[in-house]
Order: sequence, then C-alpha cells, then structure tokens
Amino acid sequence: MTGGQLLLLVLALGTFGVALWRGGEPAGKRALRDTGDSIARVLPIMLVAIPMASFLSQLIPPQLAADWLGPESGMTGVLVATAVGGFIPGGPFVSFPLVLTFIKAGAGAPQMVALITAWAVLGVHRVLTWELPILGARFAVIRLISGGAMPILAGAMAQALMPFFPHALPVMR
Amino acid sequence: MASFARRHATLLVLSAVALAAALAVRITQGPAAVDDALGKAWPLLVAVLPAMLAGLLLAGSLKQIIPPGALAQWMGAESGWRGLFVACGAGLLTPGGPMAAFPLVLVLARAGADRGALICYIVSWGLNGLQRILVWEVPLLGADFAILRLLCGLPLGILAGLIARRLPIDWTPPPGTTDGPARAPKP
Repeated sequence: MTGGQLLLLVLALGTFGVALWRGGEPAGKRALRDTGDSIARVLPIMLVAIPMASFLSQLIPPQLAADWLGPESGMTGVLVATAVGGFIPGGPFVSFPLVLTFIKAGAGAPQMVALITAWAVLGVHRVLTWELPILGARFAVIRLISGGAMPILAGAMAQALMPFFPHALPVMR
Repeated sequence: MASFARRHATLLVLSAVALAAALAVRITQGPAAVDDALGKAWPLLVAVLPAMLAGLLLAGSLKQIIPPGALAQWMGAESGWRGLFVACGAGLLTPGGPMAAFPLVLVLARAGADRGALICYIVSWGLNGLQRILVWEVPLLGADFAILRLLCGLPLGILAGLIARRLPIDWTPPPGTTDGPARAPKP
C-alpha cells in the first residue's frame, strides 16, 4: 500500500467517523449503503475498463506516441495531446491507464499534462452523457468557452515547471 | 430510471469496445498478445482497487456531513473572489464521478450560486479532484507527475470562473423534474 492510498484510507475512515459522530447510527448506515451502491456500480465497470485500456494500448504503435507526444514535440505535441484527450471516453479507469501507456511509449510530461487536462475539461463524452441532460446546452457552452484554452495553458505551465520536476517522468511500473 | 439505464449503457459500451479491441489484438498480433495485455491489466487493477474502495467510503461519508445549502450560500451571486476560492476547494474535495458532481451543480445553481463559482467548481472537480488523484494518478503515474499536474491545474478553475463571469451568455438552471437524473446528495 502506497502513502497516497494510506492517506486516502485514513481520510475515509476519519470522515466516516465524523458522519457517525454527527449523525449517529442512521447517518453511518446511509454512508455505508451509499458506499455499497457505488461499489456495485463502479466495480463491474472497472473490471471491464482496465482490460479494455490494456487492449487498446496494445494497439497503439509505440513509435506514434513517441513521435507525436514526445518531450521534443513541444507545443505541437501539447496541441495534439489536447485533441486526443478531448476524445478519450470514460472515467479515470480509461484515461489514466492510457496515459501510462503513452508515457511508457515515450510521451513527454507537459504533453501528458495537457492530455489529462483536455480529458478532464473538454471530454466530449462527459458533456454528452451528463452535462447536456442535467444542466443544458447553454451551461455547456459557457463552460467550454471558459475552459477551452485550459489544456494548452496547463501544457505550457508544465513545460515551464519541468526543470523543477526532474523525476516527473519516466514512470516505471 | 434514466440514470440506471445510463449506467448500464456505460458498461455495455465499454464491454463492446473491450471485446472489439481484444479481437483486433488477436487478429493483428496473435493470441499471445491477448494474454500479454490481460497480464498487464491485472497489476493495474491491484494497484487501484484498495484506494478505490477507500475513496468510495469517503464519498459516501462526505455526503452525510456537508449540506449543499451551506456551499450555495458561500458561492452566492455577490460572492466575488471568496466564492471562487470556496468553489475551487469544494471541487477539490468532491469525491466521485460525474453522477455526483453534475447533479450537485444543479442543486447549487437552484440555491442561488453564482455562475463563475459553478464553472470554477466543475472545472476544479474535473481537473483536481483529490480522490481521483490519490486513487488513480499517484499509483499509476507517480507522485512527482501528479504534483506537477496539480500545480498546473489549481489556478485554472479560478481562471475559468473569472472568464465565465464575463461571458455574455444567459443561463438559468433547468427547473426541477420528477424523472430527472438529479440524485442530489442528501443534506
């Protein structure tokens, strides 16, 4: 278990304790029922999504990722990563394993920062399945205009910060 | 009902893509490559699963503690910079996927939260949600990369909120429906 996972576990148990303390047994039961519902919903998706990401990454030619998204690709690579990230469907169970694949194939850190930002801010699938039905088209338009430049900004910032993060890449797992 | 169908749609689409991808791997690279890909999937699952269970417990417990009414008050129409910072922090701390975050935006909007704060909240949640960083980003991509990306992401939610306040586009939250997908966190 890594430090981050331990921290999360402590946070979760602490928050559960606060819910119990503030709301008594009913709040604790509600929290557990909610957690159970979430597990029932997320676990099957994960069991399918992680092998899916693995198969997809098997299909990506490594040279392609290195050429288009490598550390030498600069702002062109950031733009390519923005376009790719915007169209990655699904939650973190798809995007992060894919990013890991790109990194192993030689992608650069600023490009991957841009890609994750684009997936998070512009993700087409999320707009279609959640934002439009719940909040309406105008909200989506406002958010997309406000956030449109964010992936490129994030990529540029990461590029500028790279000297301070010599170990950001490569990730070897 | 609508959200139930949507969840299953996700699973079905993912299964279809997974099968198609597996088939494509088998055709282009042979059965050994399929086994190879499955072998790589297993450690990923093991790396993510314990943190995911903890994250879901965190999400379930937080819902019992934080009333959306208080958040909306801090993010009200005249909330200015404070509203943006509250929204940025709330986005950071909101656990869970879009099925929780988007309905919460609706609840906050109907309770009178300011547009810039709402945009800041949803961008900050999508970019910097701590649960996702701890469950996925740190175990898979490493702490250094996660910190670098978080540093780049932190100011962007505030910036998006500032831009949204200046956009000349009207938006009012859709009125409540009985069959809406909104499953707001319980107060």
